[in-house]
Amino acid sequence: MAQTALKLKGSPPVSDWKKWLGVTPFFLFAILFLVLPSLRLVMGSFTNSEGQFTFANLLQLFQEQFILDAYWLSIRISAATAIGGGIFGFLLAYSVTVGGLPKPLRSALITFSGVASNFAGVPLAFSFIATLGRTGFVTALIKNVFGINLYQQTEFDLYSFWGLSLTYMYFQFPLMVLIMAPALDGLKREWREAAENLGASTTQYWLRVALPVLLPSILGSMILLFGNAFGAYATAYALTGGRLGIITIQIGAQIRGDVLHNPGLGYAMAMGMVIIMAISLIGYSWLQKRSERWLR
Amino acid sequence: MNILARIRRIPFWSWIWFILGALYFLLPLYATVNFSLRMERDVIGFKAYVRAFEDPDFLKTFMYSNMLALMTILASIILIVPTAYWIRLRLPEARRVVEFITLLPFVVPAIILVFGLIRIYSSPIKIPFTDTTLLQPLTTFEIGTDILIVAGYVVLGLPYMYRSVDTGMRTVDVRTLTEAAQSLGASWFTIIVKVILPNIRAALLSGALLTFAIVVGEVTLASFLGVPAFGPYLFLLGQHRAYEPAALSFASFLLTWLAMGLIQLFTGGQGQASGAH
Amino acid sequence: MTHLSLKNVSKHFGDFTAVNDFNLDVNKGEFVSFLGPSGCGKTTTLRMIAGFEIPSTGQITINGADITNKAPSQRNVGMVFQSYALFPNMTVAQNIGFGLRIRKEKEADVVDRVKEMLAIINLEKKADSYPYQLSGGQMQRVALGRALAIRPEVLLLDEPLSALDAKIRIALRAEIRGIQQKLGITAIYVTHDQEEALSLSDRIVVMREGEMDQVGTPFQIYNFPTTVFVANFVGTLNNASAEVVDPAKSIIAIDGIQFESAVDLKERKKGDKVRVAIRPERFNFVSQEKKANIVDCRIENITFLGSIVRIQVMIGNSKFYMDTFNNPFLELPKIGDKDQVTCSREAVLVLDE
Repeated sequence: MAQTALKLKGSPPVSDWKKWLGVTPFFLFAILFLVLPSLRLVMGSFTNSEGQFTFANLLQLFQEQFILDAYWLSIRISAATAIGGGIFGFLLAYSVTVGGLPKPLRSALITFSGVASNFAGVPLAFSFIATLGRTGFVTALIKNVFGINLYQQTEFDLYSFWGLSLTYMYFQFPLMVLIMAPALDGLKREWREAAENLGASTTQYWLRVALPVLLPSILGSMILLFGNAFGAYATAYALTGGRLGIITIQIGAQIRGDVLHNPGLGYAMAMGMVIIMAISLIGYSWLQKRSERWLR
Repeated sequence: MNILARIRRIPFWSWIWFILGALYFLLPLYATVNFSLRMERDVIGFKAYVRAFEDPDFLKTFMYSNMLALMTILASIILIVPTAYWIRLRLPEARRVVEFITLLPFVVPAIILVFGLIRIYSSPIKIPFTDTTLLQPLTTFEIGTDILIVAGYVVLGLPYMYRSVDTGMRTVDVRTLTEAAQSLGASWFTIIVKVILPNIRAALLSGALLTFAIVVGEVTLASFLGVPAFGPYLFLLGQHRAYEPAALSFASFLLTWLAMGLIQLFTGGQGQASGAH
Repeated sequence: MTHLSLKNVSKHFGDFTAVNDFNLDVNKGEFVSFLGPSGCGKTTTLRMIAGFEIPSTGQITINGADITNKAPSQRNVGMVFQSYALFPNMTVAQNIGFGLRIRKEKEADVVDRVKEMLAIINLEKKADSYPYQLSGGQMQRVALGRALAIRPEVLLLDEPLSALDAKIRIALRAEIRGIQQKLGITAIYVTHDQEEALSLSDRIVVMREGEMDQVGTPFQIYNFPTTVFVANFVGTLNNASAEVVDPAKSIIAIDGIQFESAVDLKERKKGDKVRVAIRPERFNFVSQEKKANIVDCRIENITFLGSIVRIQVMIGNSKFYMDTFNNPFLELPKIGDKDQVTCSREAVLVLDE
């Protein structure tokens, strides 16, 4: 017994390479099921149909109009839901944290956000069809109350840009709420009091202190929301049945059958996505670090 | 207190945002329930639910998905708990690289992951420069596919499970606990089973429930790997039925709610971020 | 001349009375400390002066103008918080200039004033640093500069040193007092640290459970506490129950051992139970010359406290501490020794039982 305790305290207790044995299974797993598949896509995107190295696939990405359209549509939807979901999610988080609403509403909203941010894919799509589809509940409600037929008198279509965006919002707001609520809690009461004490109004406090302090956090979360929407597949597929050509749906089509007649181009599309996701994750963690420095 | 101060205390805008948010959250749910109860003309009833639950395929796919979720949770725990523990205890220098790996699934979304998995594991794996086959393509036999999809799900759940376990270990300070147990003469087995696991129980449960929520309704991996899971079943059902999918959608919402509610209960309100969409 | 005045100020939170009937007039340029244990209402009183709490009853005036219900932002009262409360998104210079910019002062004036403040708090070199790059002591100096930059009527300090290390605490304490005297600003200082209050203040308000227990100069508070609470809270104090033996000659007895006090006991009767309090440093071992109170004792324990040595003695059945200055040639008694100690009549304080 004394020996084991000593062994733990003493300088290198196990020799260096043996220590790494303890994490081998994890690394093995990560290589087999995460790194190798990713590398396969990267390598594939630099290989032509004869198996030779090429940049042609990547160059072709920028020449095929429908691929550019797919990326652009995905970027627009992700940006719209990130900004819209971000702003509204922030306001919601604000209302239950420093906004002065009763405490029980806070825990209700946080629980609900936990559920809603994980409620995606097919069930979410069906719910929105039941809500805003041609015979949906809200569609009917608007028709009965305002006399407006959404599908005949307006441009609205659930299976389009705005429809998909509105659906994505259902998991975007809640994610924002979950990230922003702790950040808003990090605002110290003393900052507000110090600002007031120095003569600042509530508006001045928010514009000059609270929002600047929260800004890295808000932007970082929006970037995370962007990535969250950008990588989404199931919800869009279930909602539009593959009719709305966002990038994930195009990649899905390529997996099902080589619709591009060029496997290399499919890999390149996938790699393009990974690059965009990686950029947003880097942006997020950079901003997150900045914000932690302030909100410690 | 003067009147001005009193007016300042009524959070008018907060209420507006909250009510708007509540409406947005609840309307789709209400619409779904409302729709699911109207299978029979002019009658409110649970017929859609009865029909949906009676379908033998529902039970089969649902049980299968639950089995996948269970396997995923087990595999995650077996893979992550010792790793996180070892890093805390002996190998802090591996922390950065392991944390980086656990963040990778955010960069590689499900659709890309399944793309790569299929391309790698749908052809036989050979020892380089020889014709000796090391492994038959996993996608050609049932157990192989199951292994592949569970591995994929472990990857999808990795960020949540790892962070949950690691936070749990940090809050109970496993290092000190281990040293204390060792100084009392406990064996490694005793330490892990009787000291570490019980102390990170809440973290494990919340990680497990989140994994469950991700896996049970998952569509992307399941449909591309062609397994008979609940997600693809629900999707197909939606192609030619109306009421039953609504009923099952609402049921899966309740299931997610149950999982998240339990997490809240175990972690005391530390909400968890989202899963795979 | 009265500058800040609190009249019959009370604060209730539901059934709980945080501050009860607080009355205080503070002169221009005076440094007043509120001293007491946590929950005694000292911070609540300070926050009422700042405007973060509105008194339930009573009135607060500055220069005769009623500010009781004014918004905090309209009071021109500077506040220094325990947690510094520096704005993390602003540099030191921006933090200090914040109040002035809110007041829309000319930018050139703001820049000048910020420079002036940086010189006063001795942080010219850190003007462009962010708070997270500063040490605790530096942050608190910035907070002080920020509060002073707006030329406040009154400076409020809410336990500003309690988050700092002992050494920095003492250095910054002197600095705060120096700046306050140089600027001649009225200051209210909240603390639970008696040493801080004694060393800084012109006057101390000792508070307990929302009530003012005693108000006086540090000298009065330390040497002539009027209640057992003040006597106990400020400094170390021996106290024991005793009995009045001779009211006319101010003689009392602790466990039958007689002490002569300088306190007038004519109001009391023989046999009254009282409490006797004697500061440890007032005891001496008996040397040749004859003194008033010479009593037998037994040495119980000896503790080194750095510059002083604290000796625990038994007088009768009561334990007393006595402090003597440490020096290398000190001949200390041994534990268990029988000895005699003495103290002057003035040292023997008699309080209510």
